[in-house]
Formats: sequence, structure tokens, C-alpha cells
Amino acid sequence: MSESERKVSRRQFIGGTVGGLVVGGLAGYAAGVSTAPPAVAPGVPTTVTETARVTETATVPAPAKKIKAGFIYVGPVGDFGWSYGHDRGRKYLAKLPWLETFYAEAIPEPEVGGAIDRMVAEGADVVFTTSFGYMDPTVAAGDKYPDKKFWHCSGYKRSKNVGAYFAEFYQLYYLCGLAAAGVTKTNKIGYVAAHPIPEVVRHINAFVLGAREINPKIEAYVVWLFSWFDPGKTRDAAVSLIETQNCDVLAYTEDSPTTLQVAEEYQGKGKPVWSFSHYSDMTQYGPKAHLTGQVVDWGLMYEYILAYQYAQAFRSMDLWWRLGDGGDTIDGWRASDGGVTVAPINPAIPENVRTLIEKRRADMRAQLFEPFTGPIKDQDGKLRFAPGQRATHDDLWTMDWFVEGIVSKIPK
Amino acid sequence: MSLLAHTVQAGTPFVLGTIGEIYAERSGVLNLGVEGMMAMGALTAFMTSFYTGNLGLAIVFAMIAGGLLSLIHAFLSITMRANQIVSGLAITILGLGLSGFLGKPMIGMTAPRLGSFSIPILAEIPVVGPVLFSQDVLVYASILSALVLWFVLFKTRPGLNARSAGENPAMADSLGLNVYLIRYVCVLFGGVMAGLAGAYLSLMYTPLWIEGMTAGRGWIVIALTIFATWNPLRALLGAYLFGGVYALQFRLQAIGIGTQAPQFLIMLPYLTAIVGLVVISAEAVKRRIGVPAALGLPYVRGES
Repeated sequence: MSESERKVSRRQFIGGTVGGLVVGGLAGYAAGVSTAPPAVAPGVPTTVTETARVTETATVPAPAKKIKAGFIYVGPVGDFGWSYGHDRGRKYLAKLPWLETFYAEAIPEPEVGGAIDRMVAEGADVVFTTSFGYMDPTVAAGDKYPDKKFWHCSGYKRSKNVGAYFAEFYQLYYLCGLAAAGVTKTNKIGYVAAHPIPEVVRHINAFVLGAREINPKIEAYVVWLFSWFDPGKTRDAAVSLIETQNCDVLAYTEDSPTTLQVAEEYQGKGKPVWSFSHYSDMTQYGPKAHLTGQVVDWGLMYEYILAYQYAQAFRSMDLWWRLGDGGDTIDGWRASDGGVTVAPINPAIPENVRTLIEKRRADMRAQLFEPFTGPIKDQDGKLRFAPGQRATHDDLWTMDWFVEGIVSKIPK
Repeated sequence: MSLLAHTVQAGTPFVLGTIGEIYAERSGVLNLGVEGMMAMGALTAFMTSFYTGNLGLAIVFAMIAGGLLSLIHAFLSITMRANQIVSGLAITILGLGLSGFLGKPMIGMTAPRLGSFSIPILAEIPVVGPVLFSQDVLVYASILSALVLWFVLFKTRPGLNARSAGENPAMADSLGLNVYLIRYVCVLFGGVMAGLAGAYLSLMYTPLWIEGMTAGRGWIVIALTIFATWNPLRALLGAYLFGGVYALQFRLQAIGIGTQAPQFLIMLPYLTAIVGLVVISAEAVKRRIGVPAALGLPYVRGES
């Protein structure tokens, strides 16, 4: 994968911002053991499919041995965001009779080595580490335990027995942008952003590109929280965008449904403000204000990864799932979008826009459409991608400029 | 929502938490467990609202939850004479961990939210009306309690008793006051108010439950207590100052001021706290503002 050292993922920041949380989490530290139900499992036939796929490179003995998989989370599983999403993925695996899972939550990044050691000592065959800052210790653990497998989420380093995986949202933010353009009355949209890092900048850009595909008059405003998680501050930021700039659609990168709740509050006061789901379907937090959103299903990815290991066909892959990956466009794995998908689409969005959303979604799944395709100018008018040029993985992974139409600047 | 109305809302959890902590500290007990008690209050309020739909009950239960947690601190620091800092930190860790554990079923749930209502006549007053008198019941309660508690603390005998327990417990004891009881009551009251502050967060400000949603507000309460020089009226001002900074920082960003250094704006609440603390801790200032002399010291009968 890329050597882009500049990519700083969100996880890295969490250690600092949730210092208190981490301490609290220690008190609640519990290695939950979920024993898989032994009954009929729909996962088995799929496993067979996978097995067939890799027979060229591996002799496949009868898969009999149970696998024990450990998951390490940087936050508490109760964050309703990142760690919550991964743990939901782990729980999804309970249907696999050959799998046993357990987890450790709120593990600060410097302490992950010890957590891996404990998991291996408890008999883990494979360990998933789900924070950017866990990357180097995970690779080191791979050297230390050559007969165990490791998977690191959101990084770029791999080795013989260490794989990398990530689910990417920018295409979905593009669809959110289309939805935003469909409902905005003020032609001003806002974004409550966590930290100014390439991942977030890419998502903001995709959101604004989507909105301006439909309506080039749209302007976007961004406020930065400098925190991955703080519902109170998020509320303050969302209110500020509505009150000072009259933004009536708000997207966000923050691990709580607060922005959506604020939008719903304004809807209740007779002022239409709209927002989205993030990570999970959050419709319940804003039944009126919810347009659509980005949803991740780590369970599919975990099942995909573990199926290889169960078939004793482990490969150190670099999985970067976008729309359709892990879904039906790959190999008939699922009749859905796969690991990442859109949240339910609000019928309040005009029908022609909903049709366009579905079209773009299908085109992106089939890789016929790519949001970052030139001509794309940055906010200073400089041409960043020539007509027809598609952004490369590295372009996306190091993005540090705003597209045309965004009024706010990126803090340096 | 105007900036001022927003400020009052953002400041209200600080008002509630700080006036409670002022009473605890005035009686001589430092309680660093505010963050934990707030978290428990937030969870209890949300859970009660979720299961019963009764917001009044939710508020009462949040106060009880905060109070129960503070009693542990009271027992450890007053009866067992444990180090108050250690005991308080333990309460924070316990409160955050326990609320995270008990709150698992509440994640992703929604519950009734505390609505706002206008007070007739008062809400008609220009400027002040919409800011102060078109809010929710906890905002009214917080303003009222700041006024009443200031009066109680400085103008009544129970208030004098509480202060003497924190100034010179041996003297208070020799005058026939039950120092232990006074301290217990004040710490309990602090816990009740911290629970209420938590309830404000999960019932009104961000009506949801997420583990760790207090996000450090309990620590700001500790700083505000000192900043307010243990005076409930100044607590009101200080809390709104902080609330204003919270509300203002993002409005400035949104209109494009300080966009090259929003970190600075984000830092403002903490910077305000630090500067305030530095000014206050100067010896001359300290004498004038009257730090409770026995703050942080366990009282042992007959030993001083």
C-alpha cells in the first residue's frame, strides 16, 4: 500500500482526548467472551465459496479446528461510534460455530503490546487491533508470534502474518452531498469536523463535490472540534453553523448523533435543518431531519477475513473496502453494498435527487464513477485534477486542501 | 438561538456542578469526583426518562445517584480520613466506569427530552427575557439555587456553620457543632448537584447516552469552584463566562475569525481557567478571597 507517512488516522488522537474515558474503561475492563451458537450457521456455505476461491494457492484440509479471535479497541465499546462499530462487527460473528471471540476495550495505544501478549496467552489464534496508533506494536507482535495472525485497522504496514484493513467513507459522503443539495433552501451547508487530517478533509471535500454536482451555487462552512468525541461541543458547533451562517444541512465527523439531534431540534421549531447518520443508522435520533448517511458493517469484513483463516488459507491482504467491496460486485459475497453502505434515504429528498443518488451509488459500486475525478479546483482556484484525471489512492490518503465552494480554511 | 441564550444553556451544567462543589469545599472537603458523579447523574437521568418517560423522576433519580456516589467519598474522607484527592479520583474512575458498564443497553436509544417554556411576563422583557426566561426548568432552577445558596451560605446560621467547619473545624467542634455531620451534608449536597448537572446534559443539552459524554466538564467545575472563590454568585458569573466561551468559539470559527488557529479558540475555556487560577493563587489575593483554611484536611477530634 502507500508509504504515505502523512496519513494520521483518527485513532491516534483518541488516546489523548479520552484520557478520562480510558481510566474509566479500565474499571469496566472486561474480556467479554462470546461463545458462538453451535446451531446451523448461514456463514458456512459462504466459507465454502471462499475456500473454493483460494484452492489454487493452498491445499485446503478439512477445516475442523475452532478459531479464537481477539479484538482490541482504543475506546469504550459504548462510544456509539468507532469502537462500538467494531464490536458490533464482532458480535455479528457469533453466528459462526467455528469461531470464539473476546475483546479488550479502552486500551491506550502505548499499552497495546501488553494487551496483545495477554490475548495470545489466553489462546487467541488471531488478533484484530483497531486503532491507527496500534500499527507498529501489531507488526512487532507479528514477529514475536510467527504462528499467530494479526490484522491492523486503518494503517498501512503489513508483514508475513500481519494484514491491513479499512472501510472508506468518501463515496458515501458524496451521496450525502447530493442529498444536501436536494433539500437546502439557503444554499449553505455546514460540516462539523473532528480533526484537520487527510481522512476528514477527504470526506468534507467529497460531501461538497456531491452537493455542487447538483447545485454549483452551494457554499460550505466547516468548524473544527479538535476532538473525536464530545457531544456538548458538537452541539455548540452545530448551533453555531446554523445561527451564524444559516447553514441548513450539516454533515459531520464526530462519534455521536448530536449533530443530527440538533437538526431535529430545529425541525421541531419549524426551521428545516437536515443531517445524517454516521457509522450506524441513527434515524431514531432525528426521524424528520435524517437525510441518509454513511454506515459501516465491520462484521462482513471480519467474516471475510476469518473465512480465509478457517480455510487455513491466510494471506496478508491489504483490504480497503469502498462501496461494493465485500458486496455483490466482488464475487457474489452479498447482495448488498457490502462493508460500507448508505443509511435509509429520506423521502423528503426530491425524487430526481433520490434517483441520482441511486445511480451514483450503483455507478460507484461498479467503479464507473469516482467522486474525485477532474476537473477539480481547490478553494483558491488552482486546478488540482485535470479533466478526466482520477485521484489516486495516495492523492486521497494525503489530501490537505479544500475543494472550490468551501469558504472556511483548513487550520495549519 | 441567540449567542446569549446559547451561553446560558452551555453554562448551566457548570452552574449546577459548581455551586454543589462550593458547599463541599466550604465545609473543608475537596471532592474531585465531580466528573464521575456527573456521569452517573447523566446515565441515571437518561435511563429513568427512557424507562418511565417521567422527566421529573429522571431528575430526582439523577440527584440520588450523584448523592450516593458522593456518600462514598464522604465516608472515605470524613469517617475514614482517607486522602481526599485519592478518594475523589477514585469516585471519578468509579463513576465513569460504572456508568459505562450500566449504560450499555442505553446506547443508541432515545428518550423524552426536557423542553423549554417561557415564564409569562418575564419572557417579554427585551433582551433579558428570551435569554433567561425562555429556557428549561433546570436553567431556572440553577439561577434560583445560586441566589438562594449564596444567601444561605453567607447570611444564615447553617451557612456559617458550614463555613466554620471548613475554616477551623476544631473551633467549630468546641462550639458544639457536629463537624462530621456538617461535612457529610455538604459533600452529599455537592453530589446531588453534580448529579443534577449530569441530568442537564443527558436530558436537555445532548439528550442521549454515550459513555463518557461528560467529556471533562466535571474538571471544569473543579476549576470554576476556585475561580468563583467559593461564592455561589460568582459561580453563576464564571459558569456563564465559560458557557459563553464554548458558544462563542465555534461561532467565531463559522464566521471565519481565527480560522488559522482554531486550536487557540478551543483552548480558551482552559486558558481562562489557568489564568484565573494563577491570579487567585497569589498569596495576597488568597488572603483576601479566603480559601477555606481547612480545605483538604481530615478533621480528627482532639488532634488540633
